[in-house]
Amino acid sequence: MFRAVFRLSTTGARSLAQPRLCNSAPVASRCYSHAKAETDEEFDARWVTYFNKPDIDAWELRKGMNTLIGYDLVPEAKILDSALRACRRLDDLASAIRILEAVKDKAGNHKDIYPYLIQELTPTLSELGISTPEELGIDKL
Amino acid sequence: MSLPKPVMRGLLGKRLRFHLPIAFSLSLLAAVAFKYGVTEPRKQAYADFYKQYDAVKEFNAMREAGIFESVRPSGE
Repeated sequence: MFRAVFRLSTTGARSLAQPRLCNSAPVASRCYSHAKAETDEEFDARWVTYFNKPDIDAWELRKGMNTLIGYDLVPEAKILDSALRACRRLDDLASAIRILEAVKDKAGNHKDIYPYLIQELTPTLSELGISTPEELGIDKL
Repeated sequence: MSLPKPVMRGLLGKRLRFHLPIAFSLSLLAAVAFKYGVTEPRKQAYADFYKQYDAVKEFNAMREAGIFESVRPSGE
């Protein structure tokens, strides 16, 4: 995929000086390993399983969310659903709302992502009694 | 009205793949433009000045102006 970057560069010599950005989302995807790259579905399933741990503790929840936010992707609705349910098991409403704020921030300028995710998560949000930042008025400065 | 699923992966990668080559090319262009627009003319100006420079003549002009302490103007 980086051959595309090099083709776009105007000189080949300069491309050697460019930092080696590696591929976007999945952790297991590296440019130079002959291990199989993890598919998006496997990645999602792995994270859903992580948050589904029945006795997940607060540290693991924070660690998981921080790691997840570090990736070049906006987490899928099913991962967020699993994380919100983990917050419920930990009686952590603050983290649940923070997760929604983080996801909106991850989307950046792509304004279509957050409304879509809220649409997908509405059943979960009403089941668990989680308000969105917009409903609480804390999305404005 | 149900929203369609947007693209949620690789957004930064896509942005970088687009903007980084532009950024590097523009920087390179700026460097080349500065070299040929500023530094080369400057170097040429110095070279042209010193091509016909007569150090002795300049020294004598300065001497007559009386600015040196080690040699006085030829009149005194």
